[in-house]
Amino acid sequence: MAPRYPEAFVHEKPEWTVWNRIADFLYFGLGNLRKHLSIALLDMGGIAILWILTSYVIIRLSTGEIGYTLVPWWAFGLGVAEAAALWESFGRSFGHRVARVELRRVDGGDPALHQRFAYWLLWHVSVLPLVGLLFSPPLHERASGLALRPFTMEGRTPKPWWRTSTGIYVAWLMGVALLAAISVTISWEDLVRLFTRAGTTAKFWRSFFSPDTSIILKTVRALIVTVFMAMTATAFAVMVAVPLSFLAARNLMRGLIGRSIYTVIRVTMSIIRSIEPVVWAIFFLVWVRVELAPFAGMLALFVHSVSDLTKLYAERLESIDPGLIEAITATGANRLQVLRYAVIPQIVNPYISFTLYRWDINIRMATVVGVVGGGGIGQALFFYLKGNLWTQAGTVMLFIIALVWAIDYLSARLRAKLA
Amino acid sequence: MAEPYLVVEHLTKVYERGHVVALKDVSFEVQKGEFLVIIGLSGSGKSTLLRCINRLIEPTKGRIFIDGVEITRLSPRQMRRFRRKIGMIFQHFNLIKRATVMTNVLTGRLGYNPTWKTLLGLFPRSDRELALRNLERVGLLEKAYVRADELSGGQQQRVGIARALMQQPELLLADEPVSALDPATSHSVMQYIEQMNREDGVTVLASLHFLSLARRYGTRIIALKDGELVFDGAPEEIDDRKFKEIYGEEAEEVEIR
Repeated sequence: MAPRYPEAFVHEKPEWTVWNRIADFLYFGLGNLRKHLSIALLDMGGIAILWILTSYVIIRLSTGEIGYTLVPWWAFGLGVAEAAALWESFGRSFGHRVARVELRRVDGGDPALHQRFAYWLLWHVSVLPLVGLLFSPPLHERASGLALRPFTMEGRTPKPWWRTSTGIYVAWLMGVALLAAISVTISWEDLVRLFTRAGTTAKFWRSFFSPDTSIILKTVRALIVTVFMAMTATAFAVMVAVPLSFLAARNLMRGLIGRSIYTVIRVTMSIIRSIEPVVWAIFFLVWVRVELAPFAGMLALFVHSVSDLTKLYAERLESIDPGLIEAITATGANRLQVLRYAVIPQIVNPYISFTLYRWDINIRMATVVGVVGGGGIGQALFFYLKGNLWTQAGTVMLFIIALVWAIDYLSARLRAKLA
Repeated sequence: MAEPYLVVEHLTKVYERGHVVALKDVSFEVQKGEFLVIIGLSGSGKSTLLRCINRLIEPTKGRIFIDGVEITRLSPRQMRRFRRKIGMIFQHFNLIKRATVMTNVLTGRLGYNPTWKTLLGLFPRSDRELALRNLERVGLLEKAYVRADELSGGQQQRVGIARALMQQPELLLADEPVSALDPATSHSVMQYIEQMNREDGVTVLASLHFLSLARRYGTRIIALKDGELVFDGAPEEIDDRKFKEIYGEEAEEVEIR
């Protein structure tokens, strides 16, 4: 289908005196400008990113320095624009893909090579000064006999990705990005060390079979502290999270006020949750300046647990069966009675199950939180590792493994019972 | 003729989202002790109509009188008190699955007991005895302390009936009570409802899918099509032509015995 251009624009000069013609001209002209600009900008942006990453890898590999470009900015700009023009004219470019248009002959047929070449040459006289775009159709389209038009999948076999310019571009981009990532994180020396210096940890591994018995009592004491940290944190978190979950359930919070409370709680919780307990532990260590380190660790676990449990609880509340609420309401029960007989029976077991799950996570987290100084067994582990006391560190690890395994097993069994 | 027990006047329900008109200007009257069956295709507004009568759904327009009380004007608190007299049973039974049959039946007395006692699960001895009597009536006495989700579909619906009986209702709303059941069980459940209707004088409004069930149990039938009342009369009056009018030209009647 040919685009619906006003006759005047195709065959004769625009009549600048007629208001409708001017309006049409502005409408179609600006429409074209938008279309062409968006494609050109997408392509130039894509090529620029690719070029920056490519030059980064080249510099990194050749000089070992970190740099971003090999060429002056104006040459870089020109090169990117030129590459985009070539790409747009001779392939189905990134911009074409995103804007869902492609380069076709005005009658809809496949463009010939010489037409593409003409389009590419005329791209410079119209796209770069941007003036040609205001004509409708733009000058370079008119002269080359090619036009940008929406493409549909009808009647054309899709090419495999490696034969489309976008596919090749994306694959190249991903490859270059991966290379860049590897060059930052891994060095040859590191690899050599990884494969040749395993012997230094021998003491650590040996201690799994002959642990240092003199620190067992101390370790068990730290272990108990860790479990207690997790328990306190979970218990207090449940007390806060249960009421909060009712305020964070979409189906219970209706109306303007309800929805705004819901939104505030949900947003706050997801912000809190996105900060790791380790970070919270450091935060609380600075804040409360504790004599007793486990308190900071406990607070960190508590804060994170509250946000996590609130989300889990609220999601469970959102999926309760409304039929039972209807049935209990129909008996003439009031809101509290509906809560007691229609809502709570549906959530008790899932709530207990989530709590156990969280307690299990908290015990594992408590060891990690301990590493930054949050007390418990993690702190002991960190202390030994820092002092190169490998045997003792291995012993502590042995206890951590036993504890985590036992708690994992226990909570899995309990949760299976509840299901 | 006596004063009708239930009067529905120009009832209209429009759902806010999508502006779906579920009920269009529906009016009818029901005498005390009638067994009124509502038929119609899925989505024709049967469930909405039943839920408007005990105001689980708020009607958009129109008035409903029960026993001379205009229930569409009652406050939420008054409505809660009024609902005690209206029993309701559901297609999917809507029982507390994790609780015992006894607890489920006792929830029928929630409206009659003080809130704080029911929150602790305390019900008076008289209610417990009534619960056992009602369970015996639906033939489930020996299942009183079994978890509700261990029962079969038919048994669960009978628990639903016992729950409704606990309210000592004057009106029973049954929303497709047998749609989830097999034919044999359907009849047993329908017979318990019929028994309530005959022996306790409970006025029954039941929506049913099968015309054969409607003919067998109903004393009067109304039909809804796209939210409009298209038929109101005795069961015998529904002939082939009427049937096609209600269910559409392609419909074929299915027998259920």
